[in-house]
Amino acid sequence: MKRLLLILIAAACSAPDRGPHWRAGTSTTPHDGGTLRFSTKDTLRTLDPAIAYDDVSPPILHAIFDTLVDYEPARAGDPTSGLAIVPRLAERWEIAPDGRTYHFWLRAGIAYEDGKPIVAADFKTSLERVLGMPDSPFGQYLTPLDGAADVIAGKATTCAGIEVIGDRELVFHLANPDATFLYVLAMTFSAPLRADHLAAVGDQMYRHPLASGPYMLESWDEGQRIMLRRNPHYVDPARAHLARIEMLESIPSDTQFLMFERGELDTAERLTSPDTLWLREQPAWQPFVHDRATMNAYGIRMNVRVKPFDDRRVRQALNYALDKQHAVKLLNGGAVPSHGLLPPGMFGRDDTLAPYPHDPAKARALLSEAGYPHGFDVDYVTINDEEAEKLAASYQADFGEVGVRTHITILSVPAFASAIGRPDGPPFSYDGWVGDFPDPANFLDVRFHSRMIANENSNNVSFYANPELDALLDRARAETDRAARAAMYHRAERILYDDAPWVWDFHRAMTEVTQPYVRGYEPHPVWGRDYTSTWLDDKVPR
Amino acid sequence: MSGASILRRLAWTALVVWFVVTATFAMTLAIPADPAKALLGPHATPEAVERVRAYYCLDKSFIEEYGCYVSRIAHADLGESFRSKRPVRAIIAARIWPTVQLALAAILLQLLVGVPLGLLAAARKNRWPDHAANLVGLLGQSAPTFFVGTLLLYLFAYRFGWFPIGGYGSGLVGRLAHLVLPAATLATVGVAYYARVVRSELVEALEEDYVRTARAKGLSERTVLVRHALRNALGPLVTLVGLDLGLLLGGAVVTEYIFAWPGLGREVLQAILDVDLPLILGVVLVSAIAIAVANLVVDIVYMWIDPRLRG
Repeated sequence: MKRLLLILIAAACSAPDRGPHWRAGTSTTPHDGGTLRFSTKDTLRTLDPAIAYDDVSPPILHAIFDTLVDYEPARAGDPTSGLAIVPRLAERWEIAPDGRTYHFWLRAGIAYEDGKPIVAADFKTSLERVLGMPDSPFGQYLTPLDGAADVIAGKATTCAGIEVIGDRELVFHLANPDATFLYVLAMTFSAPLRADHLAAVGDQMYRHPLASGPYMLESWDEGQRIMLRRNPHYVDPARAHLARIEMLESIPSDTQFLMFERGELDTAERLTSPDTLWLREQPAWQPFVHDRATMNAYGIRMNVRVKPFDDRRVRQALNYALDKQHAVKLLNGGAVPSHGLLPPGMFGRDDTLAPYPHDPAKARALLSEAGYPHGFDVDYVTINDEEAEKLAASYQADFGEVGVRTHITILSVPAFASAIGRPDGPPFSYDGWVGDFPDPANFLDVRFHSRMIANENSNNVSFYANPELDALLDRARAETDRAARAAMYHRAERILYDDAPWVWDFHRAMTEVTQPYVRGYEPHPVWGRDYTSTWLDDKVPR
Repeated sequence: MSGASILRRLAWTALVVWFVVTATFAMTLAIPADPAKALLGPHATPEAVERVRAYYCLDKSFIEEYGCYVSRIAHADLGESFRSKRPVRAIIAARIWPTVQLALAAILLQLLVGVPLGLLAAARKNRWPDHAANLVGLLGQSAPTFFVGTLLLYLFAYRFGWFPIGGYGSGLVGRLAHLVLPAATLATVGVAYYARVVRSELVEALEEDYVRTARAKGLSERTVLVRHALRNALGPLVTLVGLDLGLLLGGAVVTEYIFAWPGLGREVLQAILDVDLPLILGVVLVSAIAIAVANLVVDIVYMWIDPRLRG
């Protein structure tokens, strides 16, 4: 007994072997089979693609639901890959020269998990369902369609802009040309659903998905674990190597990494700072750490209608006062300084613009010019998140250097969201935007077009209205010539850079570590964790 | 035990439940935003908002709104979660079973370890087993749950690999393996407390005349201790178990979080962070009722084991 105790104490006090405990086999061709296990710290709320609008569901919903078009997979070593649109359930499509008609031909042999064929009418069913659901956040994305507004308003039950020709042809008629429409059709809510399935499951759709993608639901213990298995009727074997995908819910970040180290999980993401720093220092783990720029922007938004932020010089001064390297350090290198809202690699981004340099002297001069030679006191509102709170303290120090005395208020996420969406809410706060699709319209229109200003839940939270920018964004959205469109967004970026309705800070990258035997995986810039092309090699103990 | 005294206690329990229902109603009035809009989100049509307002009687007078609320609670309708848009009743139903398992396992451990420890300390009063039990008790009571939980997780799951690190597990063996560490974490404080209570009750009982009589009859020390003295120490223990059960049924937030145990505590923590008021109120209501019912059961059991209380 004493000896056992001594052995245990010695084992507990010695430095642990933190892996990797396995190496991959030497296969060059993908294996089929095996279960890929990962976890999330949150809970999965719904499997209904018309409702799910969060950052937990994409790896699951993208595996269950296929859409007409999708994004190409991301490729290792190519930071801009993953953004091009490729056919998925569609075999091909044609866009009329006026940009208002999209004609799709469906791929042959596509079927749901129950073996019944996917037909053109099923797309009309699911899209009209979204338009008719008051609690779906996605109806607004379909407003370019002819007649969509009538369905949203309850004046019609069918959308005139969706035309079904036989089983395999589908035509979308848009009221005005809209270059973002193809991206909308890649969003999961555009996946086909059969009317008889919807009728049979009723309000239980949230847990009875009808799979059109490579995986289908096997079981879901809500709040604990969801298990998917390969859809036997799926047509593309390259997207369904795994026998099963298992996601554990409600696992805290530090517990997740302990489970990963012990081999209870095959991938780990959203690591804590100590784990990220430790991983980056371990040569044995380096080949299995994946960094990927994702579609987002973070910074400080100002209500440009409220003093002192109504003065452009003040806004520019704060941009000069911020040292963007602080955020890069706070995020353990997982961030890139920004000059605007559009992330690196995105179409329409003006790469010739450099982020505002850290120049406190210039900031002080601009403040003096604006009538604030001694700075001012300001409340900065942020969310109750460890990272956001650390950023707030860093901003406080940077702004303090130029005389702007920042007082931090921390709110819960819902309270924060409803507060900053009102014109009379806090004028100076944390902000971030994660794109729904990789197009400038989904970034710049949402945050800076005057059309997006509202008295409650405003998307344009800077309450920034600039007729020149509005006109430019409207023209760019309708432009079908890609080069001309890119030039318009370059101009829009320049206007926003100079007008500075935000203190531009950084774009975040995601970091994920995988076990050595996880192959064919690369985090995706839009989907994040996308395991549809992943396969598991032999697991050889080291 | 008389029917009247049970009825009296039942009435008290009903009064407590009514008070809790009314208090939670008062809390719904504190929602800063329109609940209908919070439920339907920013894209809701005015018609949908009106429908929800009518359902919750938000368009009626204060008294009618209260009546609607009480009627819905009486029909076990706790509303819909703002966050997941699902019935609160269904969410609580899914979470309560893991919490019940954890609570029962923790109490079982407390009894299985705490009572013998208390017995040993009393039987060896002021000798080293007593001092050792005291020390264990002191440590157990002073160590915070997050520390004990993290330590147990690090040692027995991560370093030695004897138990899984987190989650709920499936199948009887899997579930038991996942249950051990969170139950042990929760039981640490209880073990210490139960041991101290049993010890002090026994030490007192061992001085009593009936124990001297039992010894004089020539009964063995073990029989005296277990059959006579311990029986009289059961009263406070029953109270403790009842109160613990009531409290634990409200969810053990820290333990459930550390071990990713999918119980009510984990759910309510997320609900608090999301300001998901219907869910928070639902859990408050269920916890309060659990505590009230546990108290009622304790009172009845107490009357049954102690004839002096039957009045």
